Amino acid sequence: MFRLLKRKLLQRTSDHKDEAKAGNDYAHIKLDIKLDDNLNRIRNILGESNDVIIREMKIGRNSNIDAAIVYIDGLVDRNLINHDILQPLMFNLPLIRDNVNQKHASLIEFFKSTVLTVGQITESEDMVTIISDVLSGNIAILAEDTAEALLIDAKGWEKRGIEEPGNEVSVRGPKESFTETLRTNTALLRRKIKDPRLTFQNLQIGERTKTFVTVVYIKGITQENLITEINQRLKRINTDAILDVGYIEQYIEDAPQSLFPTVGISERPDVTAAKLLEGRVAILVDGSPMALTMPFLFLEGFQNPDDYYTRPFFATMIRWVRLLGFLLSIYLPGLFVSLSAFHPELFPTELLVSVAAAREGIPFPVVLEALLMLLLFEILREAGLRLPRPLGQAVSIVGALVIGQAAVSAGLVGAPMVIVVATTAITSFLVVSYADTGVLFRLLMVIVSGFLGLFGMVLFSLEILSHLVSLRSLGVSYLSPLVPIDFKSFKDTFIRAPLWAMDNRPESLAPLDKKRQAPNLMPRASKSSQTGREKP
Amino acid sequence: MKRKVKAKIYLTILLILITICLAGCWDSLELNKRSIVSGLGWDLDPKTGEVTFTVQSIVPGGGQSSSNISGQQQGGSQTRSIQVDKDTGPGMYDAITRLTQHVSRFPFYPHTKVYIFGKEGAQYGIYQFFDVQARNPDSRPNALIVVSAEKKASDIMNIPDGLEKIQAFGMAAEINLSAQYSKYPAVTVFDFQKRIMSKTTAPIAPIVGIAKEIGSEGREIKKLRVAGTAVFKGDKMIGELNERESSGLLWAINKVKIGFITVPEADLEVVKAKSKIIPELQGDKIKITVEISEDSDLVLFKRRQDITVGVVRELEKDLEKEIKNQVMASVEKSFALDADIFGFGEAVHRKYKKEWKELQPKWDDIYPQIEVEVKVDAHLKKIGDIYKAL
Amino acid sequence: MFLEKGKISNFQLGLLIIGFVFGSSVIISPGQGAGHDAWISVALGLMESLLIVWIFTTLAKQFKGMTIVEINSLVYGKILGTCISLLFIWYLFHLGAMVLDNYASFFKLEIYANTPRIIIILALVLVCISTVGRGIEVLARCSAILVPITILIAIADSALIIPQIDLKNLLPVLDVPISQILWAGHAAASFPFAESVAFLMVLAFVDITENVSANFLKSLLIVGIILIIVVARNFAVMGPMAAITNYPSYLLAQAIDIGEVLTRLEVLIAVNLITMGFIKVSVLLYGTVLGLAQVLNLHSYRPIILPIGILMAILALTTFGNSVNMLNFAQKGYPVYAAFFQIGIPLITLVVAKLRKLNPTGGSKA
Repeated sequence: MFRLLKRKLLQRTSDHKDEAKAGNDYAHIKLDIKLDDNLNRIRNILGESNDVIIREMKIGRNSNIDAAIVYIDGLVDRNLINHDILQPLMFNLPLIRDNVNQKHASLIEFFKSTVLTVGQITESEDMVTIISDVLSGNIAILAEDTAEALLIDAKGWEKRGIEEPGNEVSVRGPKESFTETLRTNTALLRRKIKDPRLTFQNLQIGERTKTFVTVVYIKGITQENLITEINQRLKRINTDAILDVGYIEQYIEDAPQSLFPTVGISERPDVTAAKLLEGRVAILVDGSPMALTMPFLFLEGFQNPDDYYTRPFFATMIRWVRLLGFLLSIYLPGLFVSLSAFHPELFPTELLVSVAAAREGIPFPVVLEALLMLLLFEILREAGLRLPRPLGQAVSIVGALVIGQAAVSAGLVGAPMVIVVATTAITSFLVVSYADTGVLFRLLMVIVSGFLGLFGMVLFSLEILSHLVSLRSLGVSYLSPLVPIDFKSFKDTFIRAPLWAMDNRPESLAPLDKKRQAPNLMPRASKSSQTGREKP
Repeated sequence: MKRKVKAKIYLTILLILITICLAGCWDSLELNKRSIVSGLGWDLDPKTGEVTFTVQSIVPGGGQSSSNISGQQQGGSQTRSIQVDKDTGPGMYDAITRLTQHVSRFPFYPHTKVYIFGKEGAQYGIYQFFDVQARNPDSRPNALIVVSAEKKASDIMNIPDGLEKIQAFGMAAEINLSAQYSKYPAVTVFDFQKRIMSKTTAPIAPIVGIAKEIGSEGREIKKLRVAGTAVFKGDKMIGELNERESSGLLWAINKVKIGFITVPEADLEVVKAKSKIIPELQGDKIKITVEISEDSDLVLFKRRQDITVGVVRELEKDLEKEIKNQVMASVEKSFALDADIFGFGEAVHRKYKKEWKELQPKWDDIYPQIEVEVKVDAHLKKIGDIYKAL
Repeated sequence: MFLEKGKISNFQLGLLIIGFVFGSSVIISPGQGAGHDAWISVALGLMESLLIVWIFTTLAKQFKGMTIVEINSLVYGKILGTCISLLFIWYLFHLGAMVLDNYASFFKLEIYANTPRIIIILALVLVCISTVGRGIEVLARCSAILVPITILIAIADSALIIPQIDLKNLLPVLDVPISQILWAGHAAASFPFAESVAFLMVLAFVDITENVSANFLKSLLIVGIILIIVVARNFAVMGPMAAITNYPSYLLAQAIDIGEVLTRLEVLIAVNLITMGFIKVSVLLYGTVLGLAQVLNLHSYRPIILPIGILMAILALTTFGNSVNMLNFAQKGYPVYAAFFQIGIPLITLVVAKLRKLNPTGGSKA
């Protein structure tokens, strides 16, 4: 009841805000016929910034037509302005001035169809569109006696090239990753999937940043519910800035209070393409070299592009290694703590003798020892990450050798604890998607096991499990195909079935086109090749 | 509504965390506050009824410099690897409690490998100990039961064992090895419990004693040695079996795995053995047939002679006779002690459950009258790498 | 009015039943009192419980999509129905407390000697509360993961102990008087099998109701066979010791020793107990709060989960002074006490419904 009221109130105030803004701003302003008025208005809106260029000129046979172009320096391609806009306008126009009145309805129309030698041109009389286009790197051409402006796409700013992926390294796969430019990213995807049904849907989000956000999906595969749901969630975002794909993630995720991510993130076009082909939706954000994919399921974290580029046997084994690594990274320190503080009877005797020997004379309780070491590792990791690269390496050497070695020989921590923490540190990076989730759970697990031993750990795991099964990503159960169980989709979970056996797309995403390939694709020698040189 | 529920869930999680945190950690005890007990000795003085409790614990990080050679004098640079503490009190828990007066750490029992009973205590009766053992969750069912050949358990808990740093583990290993070679039984708590709970079957346990040797400098060196099988009646030790009788017992109760048998002209290695106890009720009389089948390999042939089919048959016959004699020796001994160490009673029970109700109360009288027949079916399998004499 | 929006599949229901029946029988052997013939008693108990289950699934089938509370008020009328429902809810509540008590006694005795009972009980109850708050669907899904793990552990446990199995320990068959075996059999039916009568609160939310009955019997058969194997195994390894110890399976797991590497596995049994106890307590708590919410005409059962859960914990803390009382009740009193709820209520309700010719859902098969 109250909530409803509150929401209504909120809605009203936001409406009100919009109106207020419109009053001060330029929302409903249309262009005037007078060029001077228009330019003044634009000057008012864009302010005194010196990167705003308003170039006034006279065109026409007798230079009798006033015109102006407006653009932001640095965002546009200067060559294009000079050669394809200024030159035709100022040199070619006088010659064919006469045509205008006869053949073309207006001057602007004439420019567009005959004069300007550029690709993408739109026209608008709306001040909002003009301003936002100019701000995102278009050129506006205005002329006297015309209540319309031409908007020319001339984006040409400095940008980073396509580089190798830094976080998701693959041995055999393609070595390109997304960049900060939205157009480049869409092109990367388009190059992978040349299906006309691959759809890019554009949105602009952010009151001030006006960031371009593109929703990508393949029509005919992706369940329509997913697309509408994503669009609704994106439209709900009413914020002033979207600076990275991470902003979007936090506004649209299913379980904002969960430690588990419900949105997938990748910097690899091939991974994103594969997810699109499975029936997922991707979101690209201008200025961010990452793509979001939804729905994101728990087991996706254990998949890796190399799994699919190599033969299935090793891929399956390595999946189990990842799973084991994930479990180890969460449970190992807690297990060690509870075994040594609560249940030494569970150690094999010989191991207990050596663990006990290492424990002699260590001043802290084992929980504290574990927490200290884990914290120390996190500190080292963060320092190594943030410091300039050469320094970062120095830090890791100091951390590993000096602190690890010295702490053991000084008797501050036991050698087994160092081994445990080091193992955890390494294994936690096996599954990149849950690396940060893992850190938190590991710490919590150590704390819980410090209080209640294994019992606490099991109960905490139960709580996590019950939380996990209650999670959904975009309406798809987070643990599927494990829960609810779907044996057909097991081909890409704990085993990685051969590609020729994965005939269907994952059932849990309810793809519109279930079939991925023709059946019976298992490679076999054709009859003709059997009659080769070898004699039976 | 949904959000409210979610908030509640998180509230509960928070509650859990708070309770757990407020709860503290009652059962947490750091490893450097525990002393890991490797062997436990239990004695009872028959005159005073006082219980002596001996605890052998592992010194963490002890015995590091492994420069000592077995038989060399102890001490020197070698750090202790075990510590033996004992105390006496009118009751078992009195003794344990008194230990705290001179032991700095909380004894931790689940890694105990052997429970050692002094001979005197064993003869008095060890029910008390097993009651505590079965009630107490700290004990392990796999620990071995040992009777000390000396009066007190502590007498054999201080003798250093050659190879192992921790003496009790060495003792357990010796017992297991001798059981593997079918010399003496290895009896776990489980086995002992089973026998002590049976109304007729007599518990058994290996006896460990001290063997004395003269070392290099004329000094006397003491070593542990498995030296017999103790026979209990109920919870009281009433006698012991010697080596031959112990093997006979193992043959009869199907515990022979591998081992060596000496017949007059050869040594044979047992590779496979199986035995079965078949009871038969003939009127008032009970007849027990022990069927043993075994395969063995020849490892030593004392005659310088080629091995022919005839020789093999001869050897097999000798073997059968030897095994039969061993079993009969143990049977004779058990009749003399009137202790059903073979579980004949249970075998009768399994087959004749109606008659058993009458037989069971007077089993002690019936037992020595049982007619026991041993049937051995021995086979010689391999004769080694040579097939003729050298 | 629908208090529960979730739906569970037949498969999940099956696993939930298995987990529920496992419950505290992971450590407490059913069929105690029949000596080494306990496995026969368990088998007899299983057969008896199949009959019982057939009765109450028939009831559930006849009144599709209704919990026992709704059925009662329909069959007996408002007032009498409410009374009977309250009795039934009390049983669920009391059973939950007993499971908690079992489980706390185990931990207190075997592992956490110095930790107060209240902490042990509260820790589990809070996890159950939070899960029940997420609805039956989440609970069923949890069981879909936990139950296979438990079955796997039980199988592994049995496989690893094979070297120590001596089938002679199970002979002679039928050593104790038949009456004793039958009574132990009935006790085995009342604990743990027929306790699944609690599912009368859950069956309403199964998505396809047609083969619920068969499914129910099938899962009960699976868990029954596993329990028979477990009980027989315990006696085959431990002999008479299995009859006198409180937690034979736990003791047996302590004895596993494969080359001094695979040893000290008793912790797995403890883990099983926690997970299965969690499922059982959660189902019972769910039944209690849902039933209560229906009786009291509440809009949602969620607000009363926490108080009822805490009450359950308190009852568990105060019911039995010591384990001798508990044992006495479990062997003598409980089979009679439980029979009223497990057989009495469903059977009488079914008969009355037949007599009154109630057929609310128009099910022609009934």
